[in-house]
Amino acid sequence: MVSQHGILYAVHLITNQFGNLVAKVCECLLRNGALTLQAIVRRTELSPAKVRNCLLVLIQHNCAQAFILEESVSGEDAGEPGKALTQYIALFVNILHRVRFSKFMDVVSKELGGSCGELFRGLLEHGRLTVKQIVDRAGANAKESTNTVQEDLGKLVMAHYVECCPAPEPLVPPPDADTKKRAKSSKVMVEPLTLEQRVMAVAMPSAMRRFSFVPNADQVADDQQNVNQPPSKDVGEKRKLHDLESDTALEEEVECNWRANFEELLRRLRHKTCVDTIKVRFDDAAATVLSAMLEASRAEEDKVKTANSVPLSLNTIYEEVVKNEKNHSMTFDHVRTCLEELSCPPTFVKTDDESYSIDFTKITEAAQSEEIESIVLKRFGETAYKIFRLLFRAGCLMETDKIADKIFAEKKETSKTLFKMWQDGYLLMEKLVVGGTTTGPSYGGSSYLLWKVNKRLLRETVLDEMFHAALNLNLRLAHEIDQNKEVLNLPPDKREGPDKQKFDRLRNVRLLIHSSLMKLDDAIMLFHDF
Amino acid sequence: MGMWLRDIKRRSNLQDAIVNKSIISLQAKNMIKEVVNVKNKGKKHYMAVEFEPSTELTGGAWYDDDGNLHVEFINIVKKCCLQKIKQLKVATLETVLQLFKTSGVFKADLKEHHFEEILGALVLDNEVMEVKSNGMGEFGAIPEGKVCYKAFDKQRVGAAAEPRIGAMASMPCGVCPRIRSCTPDGVVSPSTCVYFQKWLEF
Repeated sequence: MVSQHGILYAVHLITNQFGNLVAKVCECLLRNGALTLQAIVRRTELSPAKVRNCLLVLIQHNCAQAFILEESVSGEDAGEPGKALTQYIALFVNILHRVRFSKFMDVVSKELGGSCGELFRGLLEHGRLTVKQIVDRAGANAKESTNTVQEDLGKLVMAHYVECCPAPEPLVPPPDADTKKRAKSSKVMVEPLTLEQRVMAVAMPSAMRRFSFVPNADQVADDQQNVNQPPSKDVGEKRKLHDLESDTALEEEVECNWRANFEELLRRLRHKTCVDTIKVRFDDAAATVLSAMLEASRAEEDKVKTANSVPLSLNTIYEEVVKNEKNHSMTFDHVRTCLEELSCPPTFVKTDDESYSIDFTKITEAAQSEEIESIVLKRFGETAYKIFRLLFRAGCLMETDKIADKIFAEKKETSKTLFKMWQDGYLLMEKLVVGGTTTGPSYGGSSYLLWKVNKRLLRETVLDEMFHAALNLNLRLAHEIDQNKEVLNLPPDKREGPDKQKFDRLRNVRLLIHSSLMKLDDAIMLFHDF
Repeated sequence: MGMWLRDIKRRSNLQDAIVNKSIISLQAKNMIKEVVNVKNKGKKHYMAVEFEPSTELTGGAWYDDDGNLHVEFINIVKKCCLQKIKQLKVATLETVLQLFKTSGVFKADLKEHHFEEILGALVLDNEVMEVKSNGMGEFGAIPEGKVCYKAFDKQRVGAAAEPRIGAMASMPCGVCPRIRSCTPDGVVSPSTCVYFQKWLEF
């Protein structure tokens, strides 16, 4: 369930990029979940044509997905009994990705070079493109040859940065079939998938199909057209079955749309965050070793939120470390020492029988704790910081006096701070009455206040505040630009004195707000996506 | 534990004025003394001068005679413990206790639980880490599974002198006490926010 400020933030992003109408439809989907076209029309009070166009824009840019639920239709949208209706769902995660395009571009350009980066930019700008559209765009912009473009696209697909788009209207089975199947194979309690996750799981093509790019597919399309020409002399002869099958496969190849694979990009950003966290806590050498482990185990990772990397031997890790020219001076013993340091509690790297694996959960939790502690320290002060660390580590209810004793603070100050943190949703409070009767609070009894940090609720609270903060930054930037639009409209040579000062101030404001937004988005990824 | 003034009045069945006068008289004759109850300073406790009040009343080594937290003393003990841990790189509670016993730095009678409280406070201050030994590397001398304390190495190259400020904490909304009342068009809004105004002053 997306939080209130998460929805407001997402709607603001869509409004900025696609306008009010598309944002209205998007907001309707985010607030109400999956809806049919008729339901959206009714709720937004827009014409069906406008709603359809808005949905097309959202789908084109991967912010919404159509699907059909494999169950009987009932209620307000009842059409013909048993007829399955197409529903639409907003993809909140993909909407958030729209502010990360520069980070994604950075990842791709650094690894694959400028021309792949340029091609990738086109996919980000347009949402999804066919091979022909990609080639035409590259030809118009940089006069690249078709072969070069196809080669670059091939590299992007090989690296899994680009994928084949999901099915346009997949048939989604009811949740019971899904849950039963997973419950049988897994003895561990697994959180049920959201509707968005179920839809995308069904819509996504198979791994082979998803990253299978055939160069010169347009050439194949021409050949396909030739095959479909009316036969000249073989009238009456049936076409063989395998010819029909290969024709269908070719059609699918030809019609495939390509888009950025956000999953892979998120995985890279997650790795980057892990390396940065280790660099701060340890040193550059430890970060280098971790980076090498991530590189070596990357191919085996199958999802973004993997808990652990695959186990690697010391030799494999060392070979990966020295592959990079900058690390040639690192000795085998130095690598082993770094691994031992990382294996010391808190165990960011697990050891098992001479093999090492990264514990992503521990690293992510450490980074999240650091972020929350930073907020608590700045917002509520040092006493609150100590209280928070105490309750976070304890994981259980603790009485006010006991907290004051543990942190060596006066009881009055401790009480005041606890209340402030509770009012802002950072702590849970329970009242315990000991002795006395049930009719009065202290009829011969004493009452105690007990405090606790609920980690899951706290992460949700902090994430919602982050969405709120991101929205505020955007609104403030819009306000500043609006206040100074006369100065912006002045030609550069006419900006003098106070106008120049205003212009310089606005430039600095933009820089500060943009960099804060990027930093804040890293924190949002840490809490929402990693 | 002494006796609370209200309990004295209730048990003696005497009038308040008589009890109060008697208390003053006994104090003047140095037969009883008033003891501050750290947990509730409003409650006056009295006891014979020959007795020592229990730590439940006085608060123990960390409170002065007036029942106030002895912040300076606590900070000194914390600083000394931190120095010892930095010298040793990794230390257990027993090691720290032994070091202070042999050095005799503190006149006050500090027991093992006092040092445990101090080390706990250092962990909460983020000066040291509480970890369990895995018997390897720098924990080689400590049995596996034993709780020990390790100082953060703020001297290493690249370490920040101050704790790192997170993304949220480095912007006005992250530390705003009014964030819950803030709405795009409300009285408190990003366009009218004074904290934003200050933050964007160049």
